[in-house]
Amino acid sequence: MESSNRLDPDSDSKQHWNAPWFWYSMICVLCWGGWALLSKLGSREVPPETMQFLFTVGTIPVGIALLIGRRGRLERSPPGIAYAVLNGILSGVGGLTLFAAYHTGGNTSLITVATALYPMITVILAISILRERFRPIQALGLAFAVAAIVIFSL
Amino acid sequence: MHIAPWLVFSAITVVAWGIVGLLQKLSTNLISAESSLIWLVVGFLLLEPFFYPGKTVFHYSSWNLAWALLSGVLNALGAWALFAALKSGGKASIVSPLTALYPLVVIMLVPLVLNESISRLQLVGVVCALIAVALLSS
Repeated sequence: MESSNRLDPDSDSKQHWNAPWFWYSMICVLCWGGWALLSKLGSREVPPETMQFLFTVGTIPVGIALLIGRRGRLERSPPGIAYAVLNGILSGVGGLTLFAAYHTGGNTSLITVATALYPMITVILAISILRERFRPIQALGLAFAVAAIVIFSL
Repeated sequence: MHIAPWLVFSAITVVAWGIVGLLQKLSTNLISAESSLIWLVVGFLLLEPFFYPGKTVFHYSSWNLAWALLSGVLNALGAWALFAALKSGGKASIVSPLTALYPLVVIMLVPLVLNESISRLQLVGVVCALIAVALLSS
């Protein structure tokens, strides 16, 4: 994902409250927070497979709206499309196990926070496969992630 | 050592979504973020035959079915808002860690919606995890 970086660094820090990107980010946080909470509410009764089936039905209108927004024009990059479709399959598998975790009756806050630790795998893969540079801030992030996992498993 | 079932399922989610993060980088290098989301939905749809519930779906309460459907709508809307934030000038290094803090919304709402609480030690774990998520996403 790329940012167009239209704002300079100074205006970034001074105008967070006025910048559209800040409010879009807040909408994202609220939507994903709502998604996780509703996933838990549904999972109390509905089994994981059915949750994933219905969840997907819910994503279709947004996919169609984006398709209409682009007037049906999609880039023709077979590898790009293959990565994105594989993305959907793996996201679905991850979603299924998230619903399974909620269905066990485990603590909602702990499950939501634990599953949000997925960037640690992305960072490890990006460094080992994409040969991206390992930054100190990421090492610190991994240390906190390990501490959290150890505490959750006690 | 006994590991709670929820932690095992959560670990699988972390691995699957961790690989998704890598694939997202690879796909958005080649196609736009919106196209990626559209093809992601196609990927979801490929799994639908395996999860088709048949008539058993009508055995569940309509409220719980509504929550499941609405969770899909909110997840996709959240992804759209993330793309919109990046497109409208937000830097990925700020927007990504900011949006990764969505569990805070859950932590704040859980005591109101569900009768659940966490121990002090688990609270320390939650704080560590939130710091980790913000640092790893930046």
